[in-house]
Amino acid sequence: MRILPRKVTTNSAPLRAMALPGLVVATVALVGLLTSGAFAGASPHRSAARAADLRAARAAAPITYSLPPSSDLSVGQQLFEANCSSCHGTDAYGTDRAPNLVGVGAATVDFWVSTGRMPLADSTIQPERKPPRFDRRQTLSIANYVASLAPPSPAAPEIPNVNTAGANLADGNTLFVLNCAGCHTVTGAGDALADGYFAPSLHKASKTQVAEAMRTGPGNMPRFGPGTLSDRQTADIVAYVVGTIEHPVNRGGLGLGEIGPVAEGFVALLIGVGGIMLIAFWLGERA
Amino acid sequence: MSSTTPTTGIPIGKPSGDGKRRRIDPVDAGVRWLDVRLGIAKNGRVFLDKIFPDHWSFLLGEIALYSFVILVLTGIFLSLFYNPSTAEVIYHGAYAPLRGLKVSAAYASSVDISFGVRSGLVIRQMHHWAADVFVGSIAVHMCRIFFTGAFRKPRELNWIVGVTLLMMAIINGFIGYSLPDDLVSGTGIRLAFSFLLSMPLVGSYLAFFIFGGNWPGDGSIIPRFFILHVLVLPLVIIGLIGAHLYLLVRQKHTQFPGKGRTEHNVVGTPFYPGFLAKTTGFLFMIGGVLWALGGLAQINPIWQFGPYQPYQISYAVQPDWYMGWLDGALRIFPSWEFVGFGHTIPFEVFLPTIIFPGITFTIFWLWPFIEAWLTGDRAEHQLLDRPRDRPLRTALGAGALAFYFTLFSASSTDVLANFFQISLNSVLWFFRFAVLVVPIITFFVAWRLCLDIAGTQGAGRRKRANVVVRSAEGEYEAEKSADRPGDGYHELEPTPVPAFIEVSGRPEPVGVGDASGIRRIPRRV
Amino acid sequence: MSGVTTEGDGPTHSPVAAFDDPHLRPYAQHPGRAEAAIGACLFAGVLGFVAYGITYWVGGQTQVEGITLGVGLFGFGFGMAAWGKYLMPKGPFVEERHSIEGTDAEVETLSNAVAERGKAVFHRRGVLGGLLGLGGAAMGVVLAFPVLRSLGPQPKKTLFVTDWKRGAHLVDLNGRRITVNDLEVGGALTVWPQGFVGTSQDQTMLVRASFDDVVTRPGRESWGPQGYLAYSKLCTHAGCPVGLYMEQTQQLLCPCHQSLFDVLGGGTQVFGPAPRPLPQLPLYIDSLGYLRAQAPYDQPVGPGFWERS
Repeated sequence: MRILPRKVTTNSAPLRAMALPGLVVATVALVGLLTSGAFAGASPHRSAARAADLRAARAAAPITYSLPPSSDLSVGQQLFEANCSSCHGTDAYGTDRAPNLVGVGAATVDFWVSTGRMPLADSTIQPERKPPRFDRRQTLSIANYVASLAPPSPAAPEIPNVNTAGANLADGNTLFVLNCAGCHTVTGAGDALADGYFAPSLHKASKTQVAEAMRTGPGNMPRFGPGTLSDRQTADIVAYVVGTIEHPVNRGGLGLGEIGPVAEGFVALLIGVGGIMLIAFWLGERA
Repeated sequence: MSSTTPTTGIPIGKPSGDGKRRRIDPVDAGVRWLDVRLGIAKNGRVFLDKIFPDHWSFLLGEIALYSFVILVLTGIFLSLFYNPSTAEVIYHGAYAPLRGLKVSAAYASSVDISFGVRSGLVIRQMHHWAADVFVGSIAVHMCRIFFTGAFRKPRELNWIVGVTLLMMAIINGFIGYSLPDDLVSGTGIRLAFSFLLSMPLVGSYLAFFIFGGNWPGDGSIIPRFFILHVLVLPLVIIGLIGAHLYLLVRQKHTQFPGKGRTEHNVVGTPFYPGFLAKTTGFLFMIGGVLWALGGLAQINPIWQFGPYQPYQISYAVQPDWYMGWLDGALRIFPSWEFVGFGHTIPFEVFLPTIIFPGITFTIFWLWPFIEAWLTGDRAEHQLLDRPRDRPLRTALGAGALAFYFTLFSASSTDVLANFFQISLNSVLWFFRFAVLVVPIITFFVAWRLCLDIAGTQGAGRRKRANVVVRSAEGEYEAEKSADRPGDGYHELEPTPVPAFIEVSGRPEPVGVGDASGIRRIPRRV
Repeated sequence: MSGVTTEGDGPTHSPVAAFDDPHLRPYAQHPGRAEAAIGACLFAGVLGFVAYGITYWVGGQTQVEGITLGVGLFGFGFGMAAWGKYLMPKGPFVEERHSIEGTDAEVETLSNAVAERGKAVFHRRGVLGGLLGLGGAAMGVVLAFPVLRSLGPQPKKTLFVTDWKRGAHLVDLNGRRITVNDLEVGGALTVWPQGFVGTSQDQTMLVRASFDDVVTRPGRESWGPQGYLAYSKLCTHAGCPVGLYMEQTQQLLCPCHQSLFDVLGGGTQVFGPAPRPLPQLPLYIDSLGYLRAQAPYDQPVGPGFWERS
């Protein structure tokens, strides 16, 4: 359908624009070939040996509680006096700036210090997670010191060591949704509570921190003691959090923040409708 | 048996007088075959010449139409796998954290589509993206119709059909995303139960009848939703779209004022081949965008939400965007409940979820008649308004849009409070005031903008650059720069679609490869 | 040659155009280039389709499927649309807009026909017409019965009652009975009456606000033994489970529309759209240390409805 004789043409915008899709398609075809079989659905098939391993793993205690060795106590005391006593008092009984720490137990202290919430940067409604000031050994020694200020009691849990090897992900899923999703959302993204408080995102929590938070109930978070959620149930929840929540299966593509329809609505309207409107703007005429 | 065509006398299939055998033209033969049976030749040529105006904003309705086509096609695929049943099954599929859990068959089949059917997840996500884009494009198209006054006489009926389509699209979308029976959409259905419950006199009866008992009902809501979603509402929508297109063809499309355009003609591209090529291309492009979104951007990851249980809940649960205005209204409405005379009317649910959308759609439906009554304008209109030339209507529309947009934003109070790190309580109070203040401000700003733009010369026209030339004597002159493609389009006087093209001083039958690509079809005189 | 009139009035439907008529020129200023570009697009479309086919054949992967067929469809469509826009006659073309209205005479004829024939049919047959109307109305009414009533049961008293009875044990999701030592102060758990685990209507939020008895309101002195308080989990606003317990501020927050309830004040609604407090379940601790209900809820649970007084 040519009307004019074919001219020798110089490079033009339409041609340049077309080169890109062609290149993309060629690359993608190559990638498609190379990634053949990229999806390998996990099969529920289990060998007998693996089943036996699982039984053994589940027979082991799901959580063991312990304190660091008491040789750390003096280190802990020094660190406490240098970093914590200015607000919590030299005897840890608290001041008008900070609560009493006597009797809170090692797990509480470990949670607040290992997530970097303590030492507090500036006073706020609810401290946020930030890079921890101390390394693991130092943190444990501070926790050990504070725990030593009061006799051991069930209200003062020790550092939990969670064994997730035999955890039941499906149970963890159900318990997480029932007890945790109401505040932290079902994808663990976190959300705002009333009066300036908030439930934080769970995506950076370690196994120990999840268990500590559950057992000690920091801030507005409820306290889930062993009578409420057993060690087995807690280990299942921990496994679900560090496994599925922190490594979500985003099989459908970009996760869009995992907050659901709010982000999806933005994409649908701005990129979907907006993008197609741009095509319409090209295709049609101006008035 | 005649071996000549009935009208032109050109012999076919038999040798002519000069001994040469004429080729049987296959297109001719095909048209003749159909004409004998369907009578297409009487108006066929006229239909092929039918003019479609070219303005880009006239394509917005097509976005909705083609999104719907894609919804039907992908929906048929999904319905081949989806199991519309609330019977309890144990999940044994590929997603490990659900394995061993008791879930409904509907949920299990939806997760299986996502994990166990090849291309299942792309198609499922494409279906969901297409639904969001469907309602979005209807809304945008409706805005175009509103702001250009295309709903005026004689097109009030088509406006009513269109508003009904919007309502059906929203309802079908809500029902559709509730089918997988996951935690987030199940919460939405629980809310729908409460909305019904809130209606005075009939509420509890309606809710119990539709759901088969007190929440969660006897399990029949999912199969009932299924049949509504794939049969009843699509039939209604297809019927309404048919009426919408029929009215459009019968009354012909409106057009903006411009060179050669009057109230008594239509200027644009003929249906065949120009418009057909452009619109089919548009269909495939929309398909491409939606398919790409379906593969690259995750939407509604139901396996992460888990199955619906009436005692489970997640935070940050918002409905899909087109229900957001109702959710926002529900959040900010004050807790006014009437208790008296042995009865309760929960206004805090009844007003924002039943009365408010009822008023909204009633005003939408009646708008052409309201405007005709307000302006006293009862004339027929085939030419469109520029929004800037009708500042009051434009400002009202902008204010209304701002109102619904504020409500829609109010649906994400918790997400906004978390994102901007402000107190949830403050965000809620902000929206309670914003919903009243923002539309009023928008009204005045839009009104002012219209007056300003209307007073500006050449507003909205693409400007051609002026090239400043200096003469040898040192004088400066400004020349318009060269045409760009499309600049000359509006400067030609429109012409009717020709049937013949004059090549050598007389009308020649022209075959393939002629200048215009227009085939010669003999005309009946 | 030109100006041959056809059906209808108005401007002539010209059958002949000059060869060099600018309306027949393609839109593109360089049609050769445009043709090449469009060809490249269509080819990209073909490549995309083939790539998708290969991806599917080797097992499929969502993102790769998305890009391949997405690019394929888009390129194919773009080529087609660009062909229609740039290579076909640019026009603009015009056609007449004939009024679809009939003449006054035609309108009068039609309305006369409807009116006169109607009059003839119903002339002195008003009774028949009335019966016709009555039948239509009656049919409309009774056909609504199966469509509504057959779908489900009548509400009767269902919304007013739960399965909580005097002496019912509180149990968790696994059916385990709750004892007095199970919850720590600040703990929270979803509970049901024994035998009715998982129901919607009975779901109850059990929290422990302190070690000592808690009196939330006058008249409820014995309802909160050793700090245990139980509230209906069904929000009084729109029925979502109120699963968010803030133990420091002692509030229950509903995640759906952010209604806030005061735990120590008897579930009073303090913020948000909820109109009524959460109903409180009176508890007692039996001699074996189990938590049990003293009595059913003293009011209907959940959102409001007409019959609720």
